[in-house]
Amino acid sequence: AAAGGSGWVEVCEKFRTARTLSAVESRKDPETEPYRSKYSARALLQEVKQQLSAAEEGGEARLLAVRRAVLEYELGVNHTDTEELSAGEEHLQRCTQLLEPHRLSPDCVSLYIQAQNNLGILWSERDEIKTAQTYLESAEALYNQYMKEDGNPPLDPSEHFMAEEEKLTDQERSKRFEKAYTHTLYYLAQVYQHLEMIEKAAQYCHTTLKRQLEYCGYYPVEWALNAATLSQYYLSKQCFMEARHCLAAASVIFSQAGQVPSAEDNEAEQDQQYLCQRKAEIARFWIKYCLNLLQSARKLLEDNIGELDPDRQLELKAQRKKEEDEKEKGRKKAVLFGTSDICDSVLAMEEKVSSVYPLDFQEAREIFLVGQNYVQEAKEFFQVDGYVSDHIEIVQDHSALFKVLAFFEEDYERRCKMHKRRIDMLEPIYADLNPQYYLLISRQLQFELANTFYEMMDLKVAIGNRLEELDSHTIKKINSLAQLAIKYYELFLDSLRNPDKVFPEELGEDVLRPAMVAKFHIARLYGKLITSDRKKQLENMQTSLEYYMFLVDYCEKYPSAVRAIETELELSKEMVGLLPARMERLRAKIYPFI
Amino acid sequence: YSFSVEGDAIKVYVRVRPPSEGPALADGDQALCLSVLSATTIRLHSKPEPKIFTFDYVANMETTQESVFSSVAKNIVQSCMNGYNGTIFAYGQTGSGKTFTMMGPSDSDNFTHSLRGVIPRSFEYLFFLIEREKEKAGSGKSFLCKCSFIEIYNEQIFDLLDPASAGLLLREHIKKGVFVDGAVEQVLSSAAEACQVLTTGWRNRRVASTSMNRESSRSHAVFTITVESMEKNNEVVNIRSSLLNLVDLAGSERQKDTHTEGLRLKEAGNINRSLSCLGLVITALVDVGNGKQRHICYRDSKLTFLLRDSLGGNAKTSIIANVHPGSRCFGETLSTLNFAQRAKLIKNKAVVNEDTQGNVS
Repeated sequence: AAAGGSGWVEVCEKFRTARTLSAVESRKDPETEPYRSKYSARALLQEVKQQLSAAEEGGEARLLAVRRAVLEYELGVNHTDTEELSAGEEHLQRCTQLLEPHRLSPDCVSLYIQAQNNLGILWSERDEIKTAQTYLESAEALYNQYMKEDGNPPLDPSEHFMAEEEKLTDQERSKRFEKAYTHTLYYLAQVYQHLEMIEKAAQYCHTTLKRQLEYCGYYPVEWALNAATLSQYYLSKQCFMEARHCLAAASVIFSQAGQVPSAEDNEAEQDQQYLCQRKAEIARFWIKYCLNLLQSARKLLEDNIGELDPDRQLELKAQRKKEEDEKEKGRKKAVLFGTSDICDSVLAMEEKVSSVYPLDFQEAREIFLVGQNYVQEAKEFFQVDGYVSDHIEIVQDHSALFKVLAFFEEDYERRCKMHKRRIDMLEPIYADLNPQYYLLISRQLQFELANTFYEMMDLKVAIGNRLEELDSHTIKKINSLAQLAIKYYELFLDSLRNPDKVFPEELGEDVLRPAMVAKFHIARLYGKLITSDRKKQLENMQTSLEYYMFLVDYCEKYPSAVRAIETELELSKEMVGLLPARMERLRAKIYPFI
Repeated sequence: YSFSVEGDAIKVYVRVRPPSEGPALADGDQALCLSVLSATTIRLHSKPEPKIFTFDYVANMETTQESVFSSVAKNIVQSCMNGYNGTIFAYGQTGSGKTFTMMGPSDSDNFTHSLRGVIPRSFEYLFFLIEREKEKAGSGKSFLCKCSFIEIYNEQIFDLLDPASAGLLLREHIKKGVFVDGAVEQVLSSAAEACQVLTTGWRNRRVASTSMNRESSRSHAVFTITVESMEKNNEVVNIRSSLLNLVDLAGSERQKDTHTEGLRLKEAGNINRSLSCLGLVITALVDVGNGKQRHICYRDSKLTFLLRDSLGGNAKTSIIANVHPGSRCFGETLSTLNFAQRAKLIKNKAVVNEDTQGNVS
């Protein structure tokens, strides 16, 4: 028979060489002959196939069939690698046909799964994702069936061409088998993504990560970043428990990455730099977590004018008591990363921040503080010198954290101080920033600064309204905040002008809404300016009217703009109707005899 | 006042090279996959219906280097003198004539050649304009030109003006934008000097491609000139500075090697086999979430990061899409034209950079 004897040794040697050529040598092939090594490997495989056929008579039928299946598999992969899909498909199909009767036995199951994996890839290359899906799902089912019915570490396909003494250990077999199945799941994740079954895709990504951890097939830094990225998917679905779990696991696994000792040589320094950057990236993922949790809570709690609704607050608190975490316990089983000791560290990490909606200032503040700590950590690496846009993005997040915390703060004076903190972090950056290179960020900062001053002014007005009479200090404050808001809105609007300083006749889609909001807010701000000088007051009303008019006129000219600013337009129309009469009355008071 | 938004959108030019000489000619004229209909339209002989593409300018096989330069680059070099950033890209598959368009005939390092390309002509024009400005303004105005020349291969940055260096980093400066940290900057005082630097750098690129097995078709080359002008008006000094980027992009053809790791996930349905690309799959899931606060860290490529002002940013930008008319190139030509069509949709906003410093004396 083919097993044993010097002929067999030679066959095994050829097989091994073919695999090396295909996997290792082919990477060094020149551009002009990209498949040179693959073609050599193919020739060897075909020789092996012929030698097998020659030895066929007298051999054990099943053994031969399996060996032939291995060769068909290798040839199939070889052909798909070299862009000969039809030939590749034929070989792979022959492989699965040969194995069909034995696919659940330990010497075939791994090969069968890998053949189906490759058929899946092949059909995806033909853009027939649905067909790819059927192969991969059937590979998945076979794995599950095998594990249920047998479960012993199966043979690795390469072992069919190995001498007895080279055969793999059970541990190694199991490792390779599980790896092949992890690939099945990873391919399925992509298939589901392409089919826009996003939830399922995410679930398979999650499982892939989980398996990488279980079978130690991962690089800590890479794994941590992938898990942290996945947390962002869960954030977009408002699944804070899952998001937190991913982040906690990311932090724990990242800490395994090992700090490179501070060596002199350049390479170690670069590694160190790389690690620091990745650590800062993970901190930034955490910031987004805190921010989203706070912002989502605000959405739940706010009334129709954006203030905290105390009835809603009570209602949600009562609801939370009832539900406890019953629901979450069930969900949690499905997503947990890691085995006992990793799991413990992850749970310890999770305890540092809540994953339920904060319902009052105290709870919100705790999340805010965690977020703020990560802001500091992220800024340590992403310094403004060298990482301008990353740095500013982090500062913007910091500002957003303050903004949402202010929502939970009941005391207006303290709330105002929080906004002042935002101004203090944004203003100096804006002043330094060169809009020639950072136009977009520059506009974002102008707009955010304007909005913040606007909010502060509103707060001061509200504080003033509680007083018997506005004192001169409050009036001065209100006016100066309003002026500052106007200044930044105008800077934003100026940034839209063309090089000849002309404001665009028609606004681009990306800036339409902000530009209109800026105009609208400026109009309101001129209406809020307080002055005892009636002439000045009239002037302000006139300016206000002009800005309201802009919105109304613009929308008349470009009706497609209406959709973007419906509420603002309605109010503007109202003001355009009211203001002239008010101005008339005021004029009559100033000039009673005209 | 002007209603025009001209100058905001990226300008897209298409240039059709002549089919290769020699045996390929045997196919005859029938073997062409496109025809140039006018100075702005091109017809691709696709089946069943031919497809018409419209661009800002279409150069046919007879168009001279001089006239390509005039339509594509002249205006950008002029704007550069007025304080705008400008970028000119060449895009297309290997063999479609990118290097010929940008540099000139490949066998000549001599940029006085009558067939020299857009880059040497831009140098000549730039220094011509500088000299003219200087004459007009007298001693009140002075210029400083510096250049750098880098190559991006495999997401690594190499300095072509200092072949000994490797692996430079991209960094940002709050006033100066994105820059390559440690890249050699050479002061230029004439077009001839600029050509000299370009030649040296280009040679380094070729040396590198043999010594480290990187093929020029897979690397991007970015030549950047910084033009700084200083004008004194009484006590006030006006400094303007602008960048001119001349970019020879890597070949646009699809990668043959499907195992190449770390590359972008294939478009359409293709499955990526490498587990180390898991992050890309996850990122794709996150991108779907709309308008939410989120962080992604796998996104930027070095080239788009370096040139992000030029793509939908703050500069005047032109793209020259080079195509080969041969019918064998149909697929690549179609994808190049489609790319060029999409590029037209990118809008740029150019802003004059004027930094007024008071009282310097």
